[in-house]
Amino acid sequence: MKYFLLFTILFLHSTVSFAQQNQTISGYITDGRSGEAMIGAKVFIPSISKGAVTNTYGFYSLTVPAGIYLIEFRAQGLDTEIKEINLTNDVKLDVELGTSLQELQEVQVNAKKGENVNSTKIGQIELQMDQIKTLPAFMGEVDIIKTIQLLPGVSSVSEGGQGFYVRGGGPDQNLVLLDEGVVYNAAHLFGFFSVFNADAVKSVNLIKGGMPANYGGRMSSVLEVNMNEGNMKKFKVKGGIGVISSRLTIEGPLKKDRGSFIISGRRTYIDLLMKAFIPDTSPFNGSGYYFYDVNVKLNYKLGDKDRIFLSGYYGKDMFTYKSKDDNFNVQMPWGNGIAALRWNHLFTNKLFMNVTGTFSDYMFAFKSSQDQFNFELRSGVRDVGGKVDFSWFPNSRHRVKWGLDYIYHTFTPTSVSAESEDVVFDTGEIQRLFSHENAAYFMDEFDVNENIKINAGLRYSTYEFVGPFTRYIKGDISKPDTAIKYPSGDLIKFYQGLEPRFSLRWLLPDKSSIKAGYSYNYQYVHLTSLSAVSLPTDIWYPTTDLAKPQKGWQASAGYFRNFLNDHYETSVEVYYKGMQNLIEFKEGALPGDNVADNTDNLLVYGQGWSYGIEFFIKRTYGKLTGWIGYTWAKTERKFPDLNNGKVYPAKYDRRHDLSVVANYKMNDRITFGACFIYATGNTLTLPSSWYVQEQNLLFNYGARNSTRMVPYHRLDLSVTIYDKAYKTRQNPDTGESIQVKKKFRSNCAISIYNAYNRANPFFLYVDNDGDFLSGNFKLSVKQVTLFPIIPSFNWNFEF
Amino acid sequence: MKRIHFILIFGFITLLFSSCTKEVKIDIPGYEEQLVIDGNIETGMPPIVLISLSRDIYAPTNLDAYLSGFISGAIVTVSNGTKTVQLTEICTDNLPPGSEAMAAAVFGLPVEELALLHICAYTSFDTDIWGEVGKTYTLNVSLEGKTYTSSTSILKPTAMDTLYWKPDANFNDRGYSWATLSDPTNQYDAYRWESKPISDPIFYKPFQPFTDDQFFNGKTFDFAYENSSNCNGTYQPEEYRCYYKLGDTIVVKVSKLPRDVFEYMEKKYTQMYSAGNPFATPINLPTNIVGGALGIWAGYSPWYDTLICIP
Repeated sequence: MKYFLLFTILFLHSTVSFAQQNQTISGYITDGRSGEAMIGAKVFIPSISKGAVTNTYGFYSLTVPAGIYLIEFRAQGLDTEIKEINLTNDVKLDVELGTSLQELQEVQVNAKKGENVNSTKIGQIELQMDQIKTLPAFMGEVDIIKTIQLLPGVSSVSEGGQGFYVRGGGPDQNLVLLDEGVVYNAAHLFGFFSVFNADAVKSVNLIKGGMPANYGGRMSSVLEVNMNEGNMKKFKVKGGIGVISSRLTIEGPLKKDRGSFIISGRRTYIDLLMKAFIPDTSPFNGSGYYFYDVNVKLNYKLGDKDRIFLSGYYGKDMFTYKSKDDNFNVQMPWGNGIAALRWNHLFTNKLFMNVTGTFSDYMFAFKSSQDQFNFELRSGVRDVGGKVDFSWFPNSRHRVKWGLDYIYHTFTPTSVSAESEDVVFDTGEIQRLFSHENAAYFMDEFDVNENIKINAGLRYSTYEFVGPFTRYIKGDISKPDTAIKYPSGDLIKFYQGLEPRFSLRWLLPDKSSIKAGYSYNYQYVHLTSLSAVSLPTDIWYPTTDLAKPQKGWQASAGYFRNFLNDHYETSVEVYYKGMQNLIEFKEGALPGDNVADNTDNLLVYGQGWSYGIEFFIKRTYGKLTGWIGYTWAKTERKFPDLNNGKVYPAKYDRRHDLSVVANYKMNDRITFGACFIYATGNTLTLPSSWYVQEQNLLFNYGARNSTRMVPYHRLDLSVTIYDKAYKTRQNPDTGESIQVKKKFRSNCAISIYNAYNRANPFFLYVDNDGDFLSGNFKLSVKQVTLFPIIPSFNWNFEF
Repeated sequence: MKRIHFILIFGFITLLFSSCTKEVKIDIPGYEEQLVIDGNIETGMPPIVLISLSRDIYAPTNLDAYLSGFISGAIVTVSNGTKTVQLTEICTDNLPPGSEAMAAAVFGLPVEELALLHICAYTSFDTDIWGEVGKTYTLNVSLEGKTYTSSTSILKPTAMDTLYWKPDANFNDRGYSWATLSDPTNQYDAYRWESKPISDPIFYKPFQPFTDDQFFNGKTFDFAYENSSNCNGTYQPEEYRCYYKLGDTIVVKVSKLPRDVFEYMEKKYTQMYSAGNPFATPINLPTNIVGGALGIWAGYSPWYDTLICIP
């Protein structure tokens, strides 16, 4: 720690020396309508082609030689502001960007103009919430993760599923952050809806390659979701009523221009709808499902240099099943709780610090009772962590970041209890696994010259698996099981690793660039799944003395070019990813209790690799916007103890993946949206033969994932109809008609999912019907399709 | 965990207001014909071994295909450590007098149909090789130059403390059979539950007939089982299915079995009940037969008792 402080002081000192030759302009850029910080807003001095981009908190810092400059301040969807500044001293300049009366016109400022070519970011995509909200929505629920799945290199787990695979990595290899709090399960309703309420979300950023050093803990991607901060100027209410759920958001100032709050909630009413169709006399009366979630955020400016943010999320799913006939009751709750407290502090106009404390809790439970028998299973993970990040802008050529990260993990892979009347069954000890995960990083994005920009970083991570813990060593028939008990706090296993990160941009003439990136990552958490689809029953499991940390590296390169005054952004990226210490359950493993056993005794370890090429073309300007993404990819796995040690395709190995997304803004009041998806079918393992034993039909499965389903394709359509933004009033003094902006605004969003009613495969199974002896026995392969054409309707409002 | 998956399926069915299923023809690579050995031996009974072949998933499934799947001509021996006996191949259309009921149980066919079919099994009338508690039996099958071997044991049976019947909460005259078990301490135990009406020639297995003592090692507790002899038929009104009626007399058979046999049976029932379930992991059953065959060589040690269904 003392070296870290010394390091910080040295940087502070060097800041002062730089300041003798250059001047720094710094400050915050906010949305003038709400006071919300603008992430990724651009500050640019055209005369010297120097610029800066605001960070997650809207802060920018740009150091340039003293002089008089015209400086542009640009942010997506807001008017550009140009200020003339005489930089003879350091200047602190906070800028509020507003909108003209033409805010709903199709001509909007594109703050990101040229950024995809100019930045060192490779494999990174930011999504605009305005665009997400006008895309077709499944059952009317605007969904961030389903939009992410439309990007090249990203594929969905299954029809409607929330899990996503990035460039051949597993769903556990995605670091999903909500205001810097880790989200372990980003899905509601068995994966069909996202936990992210679009009304509460401000920005979405996906990093699928070239991960910067300030991120770690996962191998494949970072999905960074930032919540709205709340309106600092005035109170606002918005909400929506949909087919299966409704939502409401209230935001406003805690103190005008100093602090604000936002609270946003939604709840489904599937259970209430079901209740209407299940009579009281039905044996299933009382069965149902619902979910709800609440987002809360407070922020307050303590002064010019300090600001605090408190973010919270709580969501819960509850599935209940009651059968009066056999007196069988089930309750299955699961959900996340996330909290993050952040403190921004500005040491100087070049040195920005953010300190974060996070809490994240995910739990899944299954409780059943039948007659006098009660059974309960729980699993979950709880993280308590803290991090400190420094951003230093020494001059216009360097943007430096460094920081520390710490997480204390508590995993409960499975905790089972069972009792019958007064007899408590022995289900083993409740096993909680504890570990400390630490990291320190340093990175510098610097301009080598006008054309070459490099982002180089190094992350050093350590992991300590600590007691209390009981290690069960399974014996065979000739050797009994043994156990080793570790007391609380004992260091059981220590891992460490260096994670170099590097990306480069080489600017070419004619608005094009070549980029390359390399990243090496350690991942200390694993998701173990028995199923072909992602479920809340999937178990998060830490790295232990037996389960090694996952390790992965990715190299990528791309060519980026913009056309027609940056109205079209295009890119071609290739990548190769290698992964080690991947885990799977042993063949035939049936985890379910802790009796003299550890979950990792049931695991096997292997490696994987994937490679592919992604094409992306995006139109960012005009009435018609959208993108076309195409990916050709191959993803394989090799486990010595699975599939006879032979290479097999991952279940989400897809050779072709095409997405076409379009938004057409016909006028101020009507916007059309469309999405088309085509993907090679998923792989799965089906029985290749059958046999009979004790008159029972049994199956023998062939090679793992050797069967491929038919291709998946689907078209979704939507139209959003807005009310008139202005109403006509008569000026009482002059009698003239004037246009007055309406306080109450609303729109109707109509979506059609699967417009041409394609019967896409969700899964296949081998069905048997009849019996041998009556001669009518039949085996057949059946395909299950979940969703036919589904129209939906949402009414949204705000005032 | 298995039950959770079952519930999840229910969840999908009830929550997704529309889904459809259709038959498709899709390439399933990896078929390889394998021998299937289905053998068992239990206390006081002869060893019985059926040998058949596995079939491609798209192979014909009519009665002829089923019958033609059984293999004749194998050399099958069983050894109890002191004596080795070659089993005799007997066929359903040429059964020794008095063995019809046992053959009906083995093949799952009514006695009157046995004579009409030609299905062969391997067994022995030499009582020296019939099952005895405490002995280990080694199976050896030779066919077309290949040899398959396995061994199993007949363990000491465990008696139930009591068997009793009580009416279910919804009825006065219908209920499940109940038992009190004192599981032996400090040893692994696995159980199979079967029952039958006293007049019935064959025993019936309930929905989940196998359990081991993982959760209740050394404990004494009560448990219930349904009447599996009338769970599937249509001759009972639906609300009475799976119950014993007041006054019924039944025979209960509780068998002990070795761990490897239990592991096979546990996964077998998991596979049977999860077939077609997208949440289930594909499970190939862990055979105890060496040499590349599928199936199981299982030893059972049953304990019997009679229960009259009165409170």
